[in-house]
Amino acid sequence: MSLVLRFQIQLSYGRAIFAPGTSSEQPNSNPHFRGLRVILTDDDDVNRTVTKKLLEKLGCEVTAVSSGFECLSALSSAENSFRLVVLDLQMPEMDGFEVAKRIRKFCSRNWPLIIALTASAEDNIWERCLQMGMNGVIRKPVLLQGMADELRRVLQRAGEGL
Amino acid sequence: MDLLSQLQRQLADFTASLYREGFVDDQFTQLQKLQDESSPEFVVEVVSLFFEDCEKLVNNMAKALEQQVVDFKQVDSHVHQLKGSSSSIGAARIKNVCIAFKTFCEAQNREGCLRCLQQVNHEHAQLKTNLQTLFTLERQIVANGGSIPAMQ
Repeated sequence: MSLVLRFQIQLSYGRAIFAPGTSSEQPNSNPHFRGLRVILTDDDDVNRTVTKKLLEKLGCEVTAVSSGFECLSALSSAENSFRLVVLDLQMPEMDGFEVAKRIRKFCSRNWPLIIALTASAEDNIWERCLQMGMNGVIRKPVLLQGMADELRRVLQRAGEGL
Repeated sequence: MDLLSQLQRQLADFTASLYREGFVDDQFTQLQKLQDESSPEFVVEVVSLFFEDCEKLVNNMAKALEQQVVDFKQVDSHVHQLKGSSSSIGAARIKNVCIAFKTFCEAQNREGCLRCLQQVNHEHAQLKTNLQTLFTLERQIVANGGSIPAMQ
């Protein structure tokens, strides 16, 4: 929970697009997420299916892959058209940290943006993610509101603000 | 009370009991909210996927626990995966068994692990039955001209 609180302080309280209780009734109401090209990387079938649907509900155009290798491959062949990478940290073969490290080797800090998904309750997970060049972190299980908030925060920070 | 109202009442009561008895939690509510006209079978599909994965993971855990020398790290990684997926669909009881299961893996306690495995099987079977009942009621409601009541 402390992770969430920290982010709340940094949010600018502009227009409340997602008022409490309304986010699920207006899934595509946020114009800033509509058409956002996202690549989702999660090796677990169930989680990948749920998170993909969640992102689509927010208006994103989602490509879902099941490994770090597929993610890097898709990024390198798409001519930088993915705006955001949503990345599970704990994957076999290549974990999220390694994927982020490799992405940042060739790409700037703001394109693509990287948001990590983690079930970890470790205190320093946020710092570790930052060090690897990620832009945001979401705790699992993922909630629609949590995802929307973090997406908005990360986009704002990148200067595509609301 | 006409048939449709009866069915809707049945569904509401049954659903409430699933939450009350801890079979499902808020994540399941969210899962239902993700279903829409573009994916009208979303919940059924995800739940089926989950039960398939659960079976595979349980088989892997069972095999690993049968070994002369148990690789608890391997068992733990299967449990971790099950914990993650059960958590994301709101299968609360299964998720809770996984939490206990993990501590037995860390303690390298084979007996404890086997007990948890049995519990997972039990909870899996119960949840499957319960959700099948839920989906059947929903289908009957739709067949009788109703729409699935919105969750609170």
